[in-house]
Amino acid sequence: MLMLSYLMATGITTGAFYALVALGIVIVYKSTEVVNLAHGELFMVGGMLAYTCYVMAGIPYIPSLVLAVAGAFVVGILTERIAYRPVLQHGLASVLVATIGVSFILKGIGRHIWGGKGDYLAFPPIVSPEPIEFGNIMIMSQQLVVLLAAMSVMAGLALFFKCTRAGKWMQATASNPKAAMLCGLRIDRIYMYTFAVGAAAAGAAGVLMAPLTHLYPDVGFVLFIKGLAAAVLGGLTSIPGAVLGGLLLGVIEQLAAGYVHSSVQDVVPFLIIMLALSLLPTGLLGARGLRKV
Amino acid sequence: MNRLAITLCAAASVATAIAAAGAQATDVVGVTDTEIKVGSFGPLTGPVYIYGKLAMNGIEVYFNKLNQGGGVQGRKLVLVREDDSCKPEGAIAAVKKLVYDHKVFAIIGGGCSNSTLAARPEIEKAGVPFHVVSAVADGIVDPPLANIYTTQLTATIESEAQVQWAVEHGAKKLAIIAQHDAWGRSRYEPMLQDFKRRGLQVIADEEVTVDQNDGTAQALRLKSSGADAVMLVGYPKAAAVMIRDSIKIGYKPLWIGQTAIQDLPALHNMIGIGGALSDFVTITTVPGHPDNKEYAEWRERLKDTFPNDDLSVFNLMGIGAAEVFAKVLDTAGKDLTREKFLAAYDTIDNFKSSIYPGPITCKGRHKCNQSPAFVKLENNSVVSAGTIALK
Amino acid sequence: MSLQALAGNRSFLSLLFGALLVLPAFANEYWLFVGNLMLVYIILALGLNILVGFAGQLAFANAAIYGIGAYGTALLQVHQGWSFWAAAPVGAVLAMVIGTLLAFPALRLSGIFLALATLAFAQATQWVLWHWESVTFGAGGFRVPAPNFGWLPVKGDYGVYFLSLAAALVLLLFAWRITRSRIGRAFVAMRDGEIAAQALGIDLLTYKAMAFALSSFYAGIAGALYSGLLGFVSPEGFDLFQMIIQKAMIVVGGLGSVVGSVIGASLLVYLMEILREFKSTQEIVFGCLLVCFMIFQPHGLVVSMKRWLPGWEEPLHLVGRVAADASTRSGSYKGATPTERRAVERA
Repeated sequence: MLMLSYLMATGITTGAFYALVALGIVIVYKSTEVVNLAHGELFMVGGMLAYTCYVMAGIPYIPSLVLAVAGAFVVGILTERIAYRPVLQHGLASVLVATIGVSFILKGIGRHIWGGKGDYLAFPPIVSPEPIEFGNIMIMSQQLVVLLAAMSVMAGLALFFKCTRAGKWMQATASNPKAAMLCGLRIDRIYMYTFAVGAAAAGAAGVLMAPLTHLYPDVGFVLFIKGLAAAVLGGLTSIPGAVLGGLLLGVIEQLAAGYVHSSVQDVVPFLIIMLALSLLPTGLLGARGLRKV
Repeated sequence: MNRLAITLCAAASVATAIAAAGAQATDVVGVTDTEIKVGSFGPLTGPVYIYGKLAMNGIEVYFNKLNQGGGVQGRKLVLVREDDSCKPEGAIAAVKKLVYDHKVFAIIGGGCSNSTLAARPEIEKAGVPFHVVSAVADGIVDPPLANIYTTQLTATIESEAQVQWAVEHGAKKLAIIAQHDAWGRSRYEPMLQDFKRRGLQVIADEEVTVDQNDGTAQALRLKSSGADAVMLVGYPKAAAVMIRDSIKIGYKPLWIGQTAIQDLPALHNMIGIGGALSDFVTITTVPGHPDNKEYAEWRERLKDTFPNDDLSVFNLMGIGAAEVFAKVLDTAGKDLTREKFLAAYDTIDNFKSSIYPGPITCKGRHKCNQSPAFVKLENNSVVSAGTIALK
Repeated sequence: MSLQALAGNRSFLSLLFGALLVLPAFANEYWLFVGNLMLVYIILALGLNILVGFAGQLAFANAAIYGIGAYGTALLQVHQGWSFWAAAPVGAVLAMVIGTLLAFPALRLSGIFLALATLAFAQATQWVLWHWESVTFGAGGFRVPAPNFGWLPVKGDYGVYFLSLAAALVLLLFAWRITRSRIGRAFVAMRDGEIAAQALGIDLLTYKAMAFALSSFYAGIAGALYSGLLGFVSPEGFDLFQMIIQKAMIVVGGLGSVVGSVIGASLLVYLMEILREFKSTQEIVFGCLLVCFMIFQPHGLVVSMKRWLPGWEEPLHLVGRVAADASTRSGSYKGATPTERRAVERA
């Protein structure tokens, strides 16, 4: 019974990682119908910037977090203006290759600047690194922080898209860019801010998760794949879906690793995805797509 | 569009020209009166770049020091790097390029086991001397070839040492937790063989992946098996995550690590919990820690050449290998040929390296480093935990 | 043949293959290896373009199928003692059979959802290659004996090279014929509008299965040649990174263009070798190149070729049709009208 509680708790906490990454992916997809393949590298950039501010320069935590997120935001704007804007109207395949190019650039820069400092860079957690008691199990306090962050971001984004004008503009642009333009929306600005917000979300995730994932130039890749899996599982345009997908992925992964064998930890999520997509082609909470004749 | 295409073509042609140029006509490949061209291949890009790029940085620092003093037998050493991206395709291409395009005298390198193994037939065919720096797979030097030597502790030696330590320190139930990628397998398989040879049972055999963020499931399974000693065959992140989450669930076995996790202060930082490494020993490439004062000179030199880097064990791996390499080169004399160079390896007998903890002996064998030394963390400093004689 | 027709894709291909034919006479071992690699990637790109460019199936499993072809060929040689010449076709057919099974999920999924399902399949395949140690030797890889050329005039490295050249030529001509036949037209009809295609009597399952089968067969042959070229087979040659490179090749060359595949593959292989000069900053330069290609030539280099060389015909090239056609843009919102989407969408 204890084992089950531990596995469920771990599943939820690692699921929160995937959920946080997935939320960033969903924000961008909802407005532009593009999956930013450089999302994982933006995560890494946020973490590295925070490391530079907090550990190397000694700036206190909250300002470091803000600076890192702002830095990621700026990187998001730059990449959108330089690499994505000229390509967005030319079809999904070209945009995907452009995002691949950006991911190589960011990874290479990360390796160049921070790669020589060592294997994995340790990032101190916000509160004590000692595990704390939670019912009859122990968890790391930073994991709770990430879980709370994922929930708040989800709530914030849901409100944003439902209630604010900017949110509605983004959805309108995704729906029908031409009609949006006719209504007077500056869609190029909207795309730019969308990518920037997605990048900022990735950066924030990077900073919050850094004490647990540690920092290295390739930290973003595997998390991105799992986050993408979570987002698609939940239905790419659904914000609660991203969180649900993430948590589900985490829990299934841990239960399989605990009860079957640790070697299946990596493959079970992908098997689940193949199964889920065969049964629900648009994900768990995604809108059932209509086919146009 | 026209302009872009023309620029790209021009750039490509220039790059090709640069790549093709640089061949010097000499009697001995890669050797002129004033310099010796030494090649190196390893991962410069990709997740394991530390075993390539950082090791090569170390080699370069050592070569710079030698060159400042006039070089070896009056010749300066020039390092030519090639990236293999830790893939067989990359390594074969890198070796071919070094041998047939750059025409190097010898190669000092090899960061990833798989890729170096794949390149071995190429190296054998070319007859170029090859000194292995970081790659640990035994298959690279076994069966022995006249032109391949290694100063890195090989996987078999380390795995056997890990098991021996456990047995010598009274462990009754031994478990293994290992990465099952190419690197992990090169250690895992000899370890299983060793268990069988000693008639020991593996009480639990778990897998951990390189990028794993949480080791609770593995820790729970290890705990329920009742293992009192665990062989840790993983990179620092996997190791840190495993130890952290084991402490979390209240499981404290004797952890026995290997050279990939020898940077104990860094590992301790990653885990974050005080006293986490109280029951932890690991095999080490260097007897102390890169931050210790005996490495101050290397730290200075590294900072001069590579300002973004901090001295790490991977740099020291390169420096250690380069030291032996240069010694052999020196012994081979002014009248340098590949045959004389390879013959000079036999003169390295109980060589006291400034980096490796044990003696380096290439005489009569190709695995020059067979003395695993163990360290542990005590009061935040890395101290020797002893050595063992392999049975 | 008119002068105009001389400056066209056929001439370009003849020039390229002519150059590759005489390469062994001039090149050192390194450039011979690079040329051989180029031929293997040309085959891969041809197959992938049939699937993604012509048939419009955004699948991410090609690298895994490539791996199955390589492993199949190599394992038959190592475990069963078969010769390369017997093992290679069987390996390719095995790849083809497994790849064709992916047509089933392709029936229900499209766009990013198909991409993810096939990506999941690819990751699962990697896992199998790592863990089914009794058969695949696990992540450590294994050595493969070199193909025995027996009575043929060429041996060793040259043998594998000319074999690859011959295979590439044959598969190129085959792809050329297929894409200009009824099957090719059916593929393109599927790509441009599934429902319209169905209305025209094109059975989606049959043609999707054919597209997957063709691309998997090509990948399987490429895998067999690759195992012969390296003499070593291990899982990391068939991972996600490999898949990304293949995708980049066909997009840079031009989706829906046979010659585009050839251009994209040879150019990218060449560039990646040239980029070696940049040592540790290779990734940054490569990324910049990809971004530049996309900014200046988002529809592939064939667009420029069409403009410069008057004899260049590219009837089925996918020029990302105007943004209004959502079917080339993304998955689930394929073609729904704005009103429908808003009604159905949940925040």
